[in-house]
Amino acid sequence: MKRDISARFTRSLRNNLVLVGIIALIVVTAIIEPKFISSANLTNVMRQLWPLPFIALGMTFVIIGGFIDLSVVGMISLSGVVAASLINPLGQVGAILSGILLGGMMGYLNGFVLTTVGAMIQAEVLFITFGMSSIYTAIALLLTNAETLRIARSTKPYNIFTALGSGTVGMIPVVLIVFLVILVIMHLFYKKTLAGRSISLMGGNKEAAFLTGYNVKRSMRLVYTISGIMSGMGAVSLVSRVTTATATSGIGYETNAILCVVVGGTSLKGGKGSVIRTMLGVLLVVLLGNCMNLLGLSTFMQTVMRGAVLVIAIWLDNRREL
Amino acid sequence: MKKLMVLLLTMVLVLGIVACTSTPAEAPAGDKQAPAGEEQGGTDADADKPADKDGEVKVAFITQSLSNASQAYAWTQFQKYADDYGFTVTVFEEDYDAQNGVAAIGTCIAQGYTAICINPTDPSAMIPSFMEAQEAGIIVGMYSSEVPEGNEKYRDFMCGTDDYMAGEVAAQTLMEEFPDGVKVVQVGGQSGHSAQIKRNDGFVDTIKDTNITLLDSKDCGAWASEDAMAIMEDFIVAYGDEIQAVYCHWDVGATGCIEALKNAGMDDVYVIGVDGCSVGYDQVIEGTQALSIGQSFSQMTQDAFDNITKIMKGEDFDEVVWTKLDIVTKDTVNDFPYPEW
Repeated sequence: MKRDISARFTRSLRNNLVLVGIIALIVVTAIIEPKFISSANLTNVMRQLWPLPFIALGMTFVIIGGFIDLSVVGMISLSGVVAASLINPLGQVGAILSGILLGGMMGYLNGFVLTTVGAMIQAEVLFITFGMSSIYTAIALLLTNAETLRIARSTKPYNIFTALGSGTVGMIPVVLIVFLVILVIMHLFYKKTLAGRSISLMGGNKEAAFLTGYNVKRSMRLVYTISGIMSGMGAVSLVSRVTTATATSGIGYETNAILCVVVGGTSLKGGKGSVIRTMLGVLLVVLLGNCMNLLGLSTFMQTVMRGAVLVIAIWLDNRREL
Repeated sequence: MKKLMVLLLTMVLVLGIVACTSTPAEAPAGDKQAPAGEEQGGTDADADKPADKDGEVKVAFITQSLSNASQAYAWTQFQKYADDYGFTVTVFEEDYDAQNGVAAIGTCIAQGYTAICINPTDPSAMIPSFMEAQEAGIIVGMYSSEVPEGNEKYRDFMCGTDDYMAGEVAAQTLMEEFPDGVKVVQVGGQSGHSAQIKRNDGFVDTIKDTNITLLDSKDCGAWASEDAMAIMEDFIVAYGDEIQAVYCHWDVGATGCIEALKNAGMDDVYVIGVDGCSVGYDQVIEGTQALSIGQSFSQMTQDAFDNITKIMKGEDFDEVVWTKLDIVTKDTVNDFPYPEW
């Protein structure tokens, strides 16, 4: 009986390591720096989350599908630049929709290129998406001549951007409410629809999926389109938060998004994962940065910590499969 | 249908490449005969630092990356002033990889360039290439950057603003504005970047033994406004109303700091940025940023071109030309032309 309870506890602990990590981080940091659990810092953390949850959500589908997407860098940069520069000609709603739509189109183009060239293994996908990212970034550079765009320069209203960037309902940021709606939709899509569940099938075994008559290429295009749309949304939330757009603003989000997904327990080998758990990964990564800033750790040390968390997450993932 | 799409995509790519290559990467010298080539003909200077056979004076601008707004703007200044000096200019990008800089210098030697203006990612890594370039008779000019101490003989001149001085100016401004002392936080640029190190050193060295209290200092992972904003938000949580001033290493980063302060309802904090770009000017005009310490790439480029011309003519020249920093405040902002970057 005792052994049974102990085994159940160990299993439960192993399955909820991210949550344990988050709690441990909160407790330790709160002891060393009590300001960490102040309401000001909680609001602060809720603001600092963005745009990572959007990017990580899109990346979750790509990784569950057994692939990877490095093009989010270029997609965020280009979508952000386009959204910021279209406020004047199209108005803020048009600008936001254009940014998201462009993200979706770039994502679809990624999927189209990958399926056309027959890239089916992660190494090929990695380099092709990296190449696509370079193209998108270069286009953003050409459009802006590497200049920084400020939404405050717009002659048209941009209050939706402001609301997304710093608006709150009570203590809850507006962007969090928007995101939660999208998260629920994407969770239901993944769990309750055939197209969603098929992504796991593709990620688990592409050949088997193909032999059962499943359209792998269509599913590939789907996951990259989702990633593109999420990158577009992420870009809009980023522009809203910092009120500027640059042609290189997406740099770094690809690795952070992959980190969140893997820390959240989605296997890099594909086939299984959870959008909800990815959000726990996002929370852990953002909290880690916030804690280290409050504890006065250097930027170099923070990079070391992020790397260590990623390595440990992959190691634990591999151990789970043994 | 699919084949048609592939064909279409390929055609677009090919057209794009053709369009890009046919766009003059080299700013045309027009019908002007390179004056330097004419004037120096047969002189000793000519023997050392020759223009090519057609009298064309080819000047290379080797930069860390054109994705950096300041460097992209610097390149536009090279193009703008090339005609005036009779130069033909070409840009090479290191893409933040010193090896690309070495390769670019190799290309310049092989193609008989007259001069190189370089803002390298890693100046130390460039020294052997500078030696080779000088042996080939190429004028080597450092642009907005300097070689490590003791290696000055491997470059002919240096034109640029002193990032250390920018830090000093920030500190001196605080001392003037807050004679009774001030509590400041520093948001640094990309950790480990030479500009970040010098802007920090200049500031920290100057405030030593003064009544300026540096509450905290943190660098960013990249020159990203989002990073600066997150750091500022954490500073606000840690120090709250104690913060009276912010010294941010770049104007676009200062935008993030300003947004964080705005969200926290702290509107009376004295914000200093470095760069003097349009974002900084806008913020100074709006009153959200008190000071932008500007670098004039226009002047820097003209200084570099002047030196190249003088060296070619065998005239005396200043080996080190510090371009004056623009002190842009609400009172002085109209004294400077609005920046194009």
